[in-house]
Amino acid sequence: MNAFMIGLFVGLGAVLVIAAITKWRSRNRPMSVAEKADYLSKRRARTLPALAVIYFSQQVSFFSSLGDGGHRGVDHFKIGAWIVLSLALLFALATKGFLFQPKEVRDLIDDENTRSNRADAMRLGFLFACSAALAAYFIAEFQPLTVGETAHLVLTFGLGAALLRFGYLERRAHKDA
Amino acid sequence: MPERLANRLKERRTELGLTQAELAEQVGVTRKTVNTVENGVFVPSTILALKLAKALDRSVEELFSISPG
Repeated sequence: MNAFMIGLFVGLGAVLVIAAITKWRSRNRPMSVAEKADYLSKRRARTLPALAVIYFSQQVSFFSSLGDGGHRGVDHFKIGAWIVLSLALLFALATKGFLFQPKEVRDLIDDENTRSNRADAMRLGFLFACSAALAAYFIAEFQPLTVGETAHLVLTFGLGAALLRFGYLERRAHKDA
Repeated sequence: MPERLANRLKERRTELGLTQAELAEQVGVTRKTVNTVENGVFVPSTILALKLAKALDRSVEELFSISPG
């Protein structure tokens, strides 16, 4: 098994561990559908910006070796883990999420304010992704970039910006006047 | 100057002795959405405005009005 696959599995394992901890933490908590939706929505508002920061901080080592080509075993491992984390974050951002919750809770979490916040975040993410693509085009004039590196740049800035914006809007929405 | 949507939601809700959570449950949204509408952070859809008006037993025009920014 190569380092890329190990990275993928480690990433998947981390996602499963987080899901299990989350499930365990919310055990024995009798709540109505509305209370549960509110609780989960607050938790998402706290978690997403933190995950965005982790996501960004993970990229420091990648960007510091930009242009190296990334053919070492450790690079393959990092890219595998990064793909899983990117997919998990994209899923959390673009869908209702909370797959293990009942449908009525998931529908309530995704009410019109959340959809509006998500649309706003996606818009900003799109602008950042386009800007990153333009920046990559500019950088490539001076230093050759691989397709993987360019995709990395675009996705990191697009997804990271969208996550931060969504988290900010959701936190603001939960704040009382 | 951009116009903004003023509302008397909180006033009417308090009159009826409802909490944000109770009102939210009646109209099928989370407390967060009611909170953002009350604070003027979020402009509700026509459907939600109608639901809120029904739950608070007022017309939409009585609950919402346009005010200069």
